[in-house]
Amino acid sequence: MIGNQQRSRRQTAIRLFAREFYESSLPDGGQGEYDPRYVVTKLGARVNRMYVCGVVERLERRDTERGPMFSGAVRDPTGLHLWSVGSFRPELHIEMEELVARFEGGDRFLMACVGKSNHYTTEDGGFRCRMQMEDYSIIDRDVYATWLIETADQTMRRIGALGMAQSAETTDANALRDAGVPSDLIDGLGLSLNHYGEWDAEGYKVGVLQALSAAEGRVVSFEEHEAESSADSSSDEKETKAEVELPETPTESKAPSTDGIEIETVVLEIITEHAGDEGIDYDSIMKHCAQRGFTDEDSIEDAVYALRDDKCEIMEPRFGWFKSL
Amino acid sequence: MSNPEEFEEEIRAVKEAVPEAEEAAIAGEFTRYRDEFLVPPKHALRSVIEHFQKEAGMEVNAPKSTSTRPAAKSVERFTDLSSDDTNVTIEVEVVTYVPRMQMVRGEEKQIAFGWIEDNPWEEGGQRTRWDFKDWGNHAESLSPGSVVRLEGVSVNEWNGKRSLNINQTSRVAVLRGSERKVVVAPSEPTSIERVLGMDGFATVVARVISTRPMTVNKKDGSGTIDMVKGRLADDSGTIGFACFGSFEHPVGTLLKIEGAAIRRFRNTPELNIGDRTKVEIFHDGGFASLDDLAASSVMQIGQLRDGSADVGITVQLTSWGSRNFTGKDGAEKTVWGGDAVDPTGTCRLTAWSELPIDEGSLPLAVKLSNVRVRSWQGTPDITVDRSEQVEVLDKIPWEAIDASTHSVAVDFSELLSGGSRSGVTSTATVISVASGSGIIHRCPECKKAMRDGACREHGPQEGVEDLRLRIILDDGISNGALILGRDSAEAFLGQTMADVQTATKGDDGEAFLADLRSKMLGRKHTFTGRAMIDAQGALLMADQFVLAEVDLTESANEVRERWGVFV
Repeated sequence: MIGNQQRSRRQTAIRLFAREFYESSLPDGGQGEYDPRYVVTKLGARVNRMYVCGVVERLERRDTERGPMFSGAVRDPTGLHLWSVGSFRPELHIEMEELVARFEGGDRFLMACVGKSNHYTTEDGGFRCRMQMEDYSIIDRDVYATWLIETADQTMRRIGALGMAQSAETTDANALRDAGVPSDLIDGLGLSLNHYGEWDAEGYKVGVLQALSAAEGRVVSFEEHEAESSADSSSDEKETKAEVELPETPTESKAPSTDGIEIETVVLEIITEHAGDEGIDYDSIMKHCAQRGFTDEDSIEDAVYALRDDKCEIMEPRFGWFKSL
Repeated sequence: MSNPEEFEEEIRAVKEAVPEAEEAAIAGEFTRYRDEFLVPPKHALRSVIEHFQKEAGMEVNAPKSTSTRPAAKSVERFTDLSSDDTNVTIEVEVVTYVPRMQMVRGEEKQIAFGWIEDNPWEEGGQRTRWDFKDWGNHAESLSPGSVVRLEGVSVNEWNGKRSLNINQTSRVAVLRGSERKVVVAPSEPTSIERVLGMDGFATVVARVISTRPMTVNKKDGSGTIDMVKGRLADDSGTIGFACFGSFEHPVGTLLKIEGAAIRRFRNTPELNIGDRTKVEIFHDGGFASLDDLAASSVMQIGQLRDGSADVGITVQLTSWGSRNFTGKDGAEKTVWGGDAVDPTGTCRLTAWSELPIDEGSLPLAVKLSNVRVRSWQGTPDITVDRSEQVEVLDKIPWEAIDASTHSVAVDFSELLSGGSRSGVTSTATVISVASGSGIIHRCPECKKAMRDGACREHGPQEGVEDLRLRIILDDGISNGALILGRDSAEAFLGQTMADVQTATKGDDGEAFLADLRSKMLGRKHTFTGRAMIDAQGALLMADQFVLAEVDLTESANEVRERWGVFV
């Protein structure tokens, strides 16, 4: 009944930061041929069309059987928005060719991108999201700052709604409505609460703060601040912690979690502790991980690249060698 | 502006990767990222390193090595699996889930087993049931009745019987939660305010504030049905009702109506009292009186919806006139009408009987009761059928409004989630400039825009050129298509139609459109005009369209205040 109405309605362009999007793992819709497909984020945004901005960080042309396609990424305060321009959108190709040429010549610029969310499953069963570009524009700093503020606002609106939804008696639509959840987030939050379970939205607030500060012209990175302020108190702790961890075999009875974030923390610790001037090589990271009970190479690899590309916690000065920043 | 010390750590990191890079150049690059792209040095590091690696002719790191894990196998049915498949993706419905503690390699662990069925989406389709074991404590996602996608699960074969192992590394995506979303008729009453936003069935306790017996023709032409329409109210709001059959409760009766279906007529929800609805007289001495309810159910123009009935409202008339026409039955008839405003918007008023109003006494205020509302192209039209529905007031209850300049600022999402309105101003971001913006050709007969030199109704034509812009406005919560006709487009562009004709001659307007997109995309704009809203979406007709001024510091502050986010 409602589905019929929504079919012909244009999808609203969701504003969201990169991290909220790439941490999503829940597809929705798309069962019928013309049903819109969504990616549901942890904050309950049902993302079909999206509007994102950032500085271009990758841009390349690829030739496929079906013709050329372009893929690229723009960076916002929380990470990278990956996007592609399909071979089925030739109307964007001429301008894309020009952009690739500018990019390869070393030019960097801010982009506003409007597109559709898209998701696929990797060979090892992982869920990945990206955006199919519909339209874009090269923008100036003010337009970017406007987007940062608007996206910060809407992210906080979703965080607020998540809090209301968590206090609701059930995840059914009427209960969520009674708890004060805005109508556009009811469906998405119902799905996300059932799928993602308990988690803490505090990390998304850091992105919001960073975006607002950047929009105000104070360009800082908050993880940095937190690290600095806790560095003094934790240096002693670190030594004692290292002693406790000396035994080669893990003594903890808890089975190692495969949660991506936890692996990232462990990988980052290993790199911080063991990297020499040259850094630490990939195989050694694997060995240390194995000692701590993490043996799934794919998720370790994912963690390493997430730390390098999305979180910018580590760098790769030489191929296969990593060190923390 | 650039200060090398500020980027000390990052510069060192770049130098390590690209020793020949110059410090000043590196600092310059970080400054540029900070000032032009608002990217802190830490986040810009990788890009900057790549930049200098490229400049130094070094090979930039290949992004990813290949994985050696067996490729994922995605299947729809259990029968497609073989006993040694280890990385399987499949969608199933969970039938049962039984947790249990079990000793695994000397450790007590919680595992679970149960039944799952494949082919979960096909209604009544054939399903195969398998056992599964959950080694990864996915209890939250695997609740019975839910449909899930299992990723990275493996097949187990024991004594010739196959089952699925859901491992610690497996992912479980809930595709349909287990809560049945069927809304059963609640026996607990719901406030009318909430019913207005609900679908399904509802139970209300409400007072009858108006009733109107009527006779309608059956759709199939087989006769007529008697029915009663009217309005119910509680202290949270009012809602119309329709009762097929007898409804003997006079105005003022307090009723409990159990299990009434919520139907929507145009944009207006209505309670349908049918065979299975239970209606009984309710006793509650504390319930709001008829007078209180009648006073609080008075509406304003901004709240009028196409299809509303039994409306009470006070408006200021700004014009009045009459016209004569010949009715279907050949009789000469007169209809009166004019424009009306209140502090929330503008609308039309149409009367089918003469009212004690003459043009010379305008502006004046009228109090209307039990009137109905239809919308015509986004403008609500209040219809007065009988003169006793109108009371001319001595005095306008607000400072007289000048209708020619009257527009009401409305939040974009609030506007788009309501009904059609006119005389409004709202702001949102341009998300798309639709093709078909610029010079268009209109059919000389019906004035509709033609496509590829042909009108849909009147075939190939020599079209009449016109200027039009079609823009999508979107605030992240709602969106609507905005149309700028020739006058408002010329004013917005600062160009005449002749200028645009010249600019679009050579390339069918491609360059004109590209230029427009790069100027408008992502920028907030404000329009003044009317909004036509129905189930298909919103169409906004702009009399005026301008770039909105955004004060970045102020809007950032507003967001901080609204959500309490401070460093």
